[in-house]
Formats: sequence, structure tokens, C-alpha cells
Amino acid sequence: MATKIKVEHLSIHYGNIKAVKGISFEFTRGQITTLIGANGAGKTSSLKCIAGLLPAKTGKIILDKDNVHIEITKMTPADRLRCKIALCPEGRGVFPNLTVLDNLMVGAYLNKDHKKILELVEQQYELFPKLAERRNQLAGTLSGGEQQMLAIGRALMSEPEFLMLDEPSLGLAPVIVEQIFDKFVLLKKQGLGLLVVEQNASLALEVSDYAYVLETGTMTLNGTGEALLKDSRVQEAYLS
Amino acid sequence: MNFVAKNKLLFFFISFVAVGVICQFALNSYIQALVVSFMINAIMALSLNFITGVANQFSLGQAGFMALGAYTSAVLTKVFLADQWYFIPLTALAGAVVATVAGYLVALPSFKLRGDYLAIVTMGFAEIVRVLFLNWNFVGGPRGYNGVVKWPEFLISYGFTGLALFLTFMVLYHLKISWFGRNLWALNEDEIAAEVMGTPIAKNKRFAFLFSAFFAGLGGALYGHHLGYFSPASFGFLMSVQILIFAVLGGLGSMSGSILAAGILTALPEILRSLPTGGLDIRMIVFPILLILLMILRPQGLLGRKELF
Ligand SMILES: Nc1ncnc2c1ncn2[C@@H]1O[C@H](COP(=O)(O)OP(=O)(O)O)[C@@H](O)[C@H]1O
Ligand SMILES: [Mg+2]
Repeated sequence: MATKIKVEHLSIHYGNIKAVKGISFEFTRGQITTLIGANGAGKTSSLKCIAGLLPAKTGKIILDKDNVHIEITKMTPADRLRCKIALCPEGRGVFPNLTVLDNLMVGAYLNKDHKKILELVEQQYELFPKLAERRNQLAGTLSGGEQQMLAIGRALMSEPEFLMLDEPSLGLAPVIVEQIFDKFVLLKKQGLGLLVVEQNASLALEVSDYAYVLETGTMTLNGTGEALLKDSRVQEAYLS
Repeated sequence: MNFVAKNKLLFFFISFVAVGVICQFALNSYIQALVVSFMINAIMALSLNFITGVANQFSLGQAGFMALGAYTSAVLTKVFLADQWYFIPLTALAGAVVATVAGYLVALPSFKLRGDYLAIVTMGFAEIVRVLFLNWNFVGGPRGYNGVVKWPEFLISYGFTGLALFLTFMVLYHLKISWFGRNLWALNEDEIAAEVMGTPIAKNKRFAFLFSAFFAGLGGALYGHHLGYFSPASFGFLMSVQILIFAVLGGLGSMSGSILAAGILTALPEILRSLPTGGLDIRMIVFPILLILLMILRPQGLLGRKELF
């Protein structure tokens, strides 16, 4: 049985502003799921809510492990990490004045096993050899692509089973974006469940197993990545 | 992780002793008092720098903790310990503990909120402390607390204040470069990301705040016994701001920078005082201008986040 995260009728409000209005979707281990939507559609809010940074107004977030349901809607961010759900935040959010190595170490905060942490660091260096070269450099001096790699590596330091990525391609050159998406495919094959949020959807849809379209807080479309790539409405709005 | 090396410590110790001896035998009591003032200012600057520079929590209440340390230690020596100076190290520690307890009470509600609420809360806290002492006749009320026991000799005062500064520096510096410090830096730079990594940001801030309160209380106690007199007005908003200026000038996040800045800003007004000004107190004009220039030319402070060694 597959392990997945199910989001049911989730609403998120900022005071009077209804950012997300009762959306439902799910993402599964060993798959890439994409959430596409224009600026302000509510993508970041949804991810933050799943990570525990924002409260849900209504609805539930459920971790479904072989049909055992664990509701995580009210858990703290740390407890959700313990449930193996990690977020790579929008705008990367690396710690600019910490070294690459220290950034990774903070990512393993909940892990108290020092030997294991060093092993995990090596794993990230293997995944992104650029980071190994720059291990003692301050993160703020890395290029945009390297910072994104670091942000992903740092999120992976918590050994997640689910990784949510908020616009990982933002501001990066197409070649770099392709490299990073190649790693997503690799991670998926290792059993990770990825939820990728994007505005620019073509590459994300190409690699994704399933995809959802979010418009001003509501889900309007969903289907396999392939199907959505061919959909005329998607082509018009997100693939131009 | 570079701990302060042994040979550097030895170097510092020898210079410390040398400066003490020079002050004792070659310089007058005015300079001697300034040297001790400098060390107390450095303790205060360090205490603030840890919470504001490392953990990025803007606190404007150091004077409140300072007052608690000063009054606690002064009352204890006067009322219970027959004004014997050799109890000062103990009572100063008690003052620091009282300040820490107060810090805990301030921290409890403050760090549930994000943003710059802490500045407002701590400012209010310091004001409450000041007004409490203002209305407490037993410690002199607005007239201030007179006859606080002083150190009997310069060298004793110098030695103990120096020891306190040394401890403050060593504890806060090593915390800064520790695993705990790394998590504080992380939340300093990106609170959301730090929270996403599972670091308990409220708890870490609270913990950092306690250290800050402790050493501010210690500095306050030493301040009282150094001067032998203080009043609630000594611990007004201006004192908090002055401490903030020390920390900012030295570089938020740089522990040695705080000591350097305390040295410069303790000496500078005195040097300016000796300028020929024809009766005009030019000091209070030159001093702010120098500060403004420095902040324009080096907004990150003298040392930024780096250390001198
Ligand atoms: N902190 C906030 N306060 C008020 N409104 C917000 C806040 N953050 C986001 N919003 C609003 O919520 C909506 C969704 O925003 P967001 O989730 O960031 O969208 P996306 O990531 O898809 O661009 C937008 O209308 C935005 O203006
Ligand atoms: Mg967004």
C-alpha cells in the first residue's frame, strides 16, 4: 500500500482574506505531484499550512500510511517533520551567513545522532557535488542555482518521505532548472514523494505523475501530467 | 569551531595584569575608575549583543535588568552582610539571578509573538522596574541609593570586574559558536526556514534572552559597587540606548566588537572633554557626529559579525 498525504477541504484565511477555499488533493510516495497556479493562487499558503506554519481554517491534512490515518492538521512544524514531511520554502531561505555545511546541519536539527548526520551530509554532497566543493563557503555567496540545491539538500537532511518544494525554478536559468528536476526524478525513484509548486509549468508537468491546477484558492483541474500538458486551458494559461 | 586558544588566553591574562599594574602605580584614580567603567560597559554591551546581535531579537530593556542587579546586590550587602566588600561576588551573582528570573517572566509572553514586539515589551519592562524603585523609599526612592559598599582598592575592583568581563565574554562567545548559537543564527537569518527545520524558535529565543538578562544583571551589580551610589534615573531609557549604541558600533554579532566599542565609547567622551572649547561643551556635538559618520561609513559596525582573533 502506498503512503500518501491527503488534503481534504482545506481553507486558509488571513483575517478576512480567503487565500485557499476548501481544496482537496493528495500526493504519494514515489511520485512527483505538481501544483500549478498563477501568482496569488494560494500555492505558498497551502504548502505552509501542510508544513504547520499556518493554521487551517477548515479541513484536514491526513498522513495515510498503509491505510492507517494520522491526522496532522494541528501538529507543530517539528512534529510534522517527525512525520517525515519537509518543506523547501519559497525563495529558498538559505541562511546566508552560515556556511553550506552549517546550513545542512541545521536541517538535521531533530536528529541527535551525530554520526548519522555526517552520513546525511555526505549524501547531499553526493546528490549535489557543487555543494561539496563549497562546503565551507557562506551560503549567501552561492549562485542562485547552488542556493536552491542547498535548500533542497537542507530539507533532505531531515530524511523526509515527503518533500514539498515551493517554486524551485524561480529565477534560475533553464539549464539549472533541468538539472534540478533531474534530481527530483532521481529522488522519486528512491521513494520520496514530491509535491512541486510551480507557476511555469511545462517542465514540472513533463516530469510529474499527477498534477493539480489552483486558481484563486480553488482547484479547477487535475489529471496526469501528460493529460494536463495537452489540455488547451492549461496550455493557454500556464505554458505560454 | 575555534575555541579561544590557550596561548591567546595567556596573552590576554598577562596584558590584563600589566594594565592593572600600570593603572595602579602610574595613573590617577580618575583613569582607574574609567578603566573599571569600561569593563562594566563591555559586560552590558555583550549582554545585549547576544540577544540582539546573535538571535536578532531587538531588546530595549537592558537598563531594567541592570537596575535589578544593582539594587539586589546593594541591598543584600547592606542589609544582610554588614557592608563587607568580599561578599560582593556572591551578591552580584544573586543580582544576576534576580535579573534572570525577571527575564524569564518577560520572555514567557514575548516570544509567542513575531516581529518587533520585544522592543516594546522590554522597554515597558525597564520602565516598570525604574518606577518601582522610584517609589520604594527603603532604597532611597528618587533620591537614589546612597552608601552602597564599594571595593576597597582599585586592584581588587579591577580584578573582579575583569574576571566578570572575562566570564561574560567566554560564555557568550562559546555559546555563539556552539550548536545552540548556530540555531540562533539560523533563526536570525530566516525565521521561517529555521522553523521549517524543526528548531524550536520560541524556546531558543527565550533561552538566549535569559543569558542576556543574567549578564546584564551582573553588570548592573558591579556598576552599583563601582560607583557606590545610583538612583532610578541611572537606569532610564538613555542607559538602554547607550548599551545598544555600544553593541551596534562594535558590530551586532561580534563579541569582541562589543568590548572594542565599549572601550572607544568610554574613552572618547573623556578625550573630547579635554579639547579646548572656550567654555562651549562641544563634546555633546562632536560625539553624536562621530557616531553618525561611523554608521554611514560602516553600518555593520566596526567588526560586523567577525571576531578580533
Ligand atoms: N501574510 C499574508 N497576509 C495577508 N494576505 C496574504 C498573506 N500571504 C498571502 N496572502 C494572500 O493570500 C493569497 C495567496 O497567496 P500565496 O499563497 O502566497 O499565493 P501563491 O504562492 O500562489 O503566489 C494572495 O491573495 C495573497 O495576497
Ligand atoms: Mg508563492
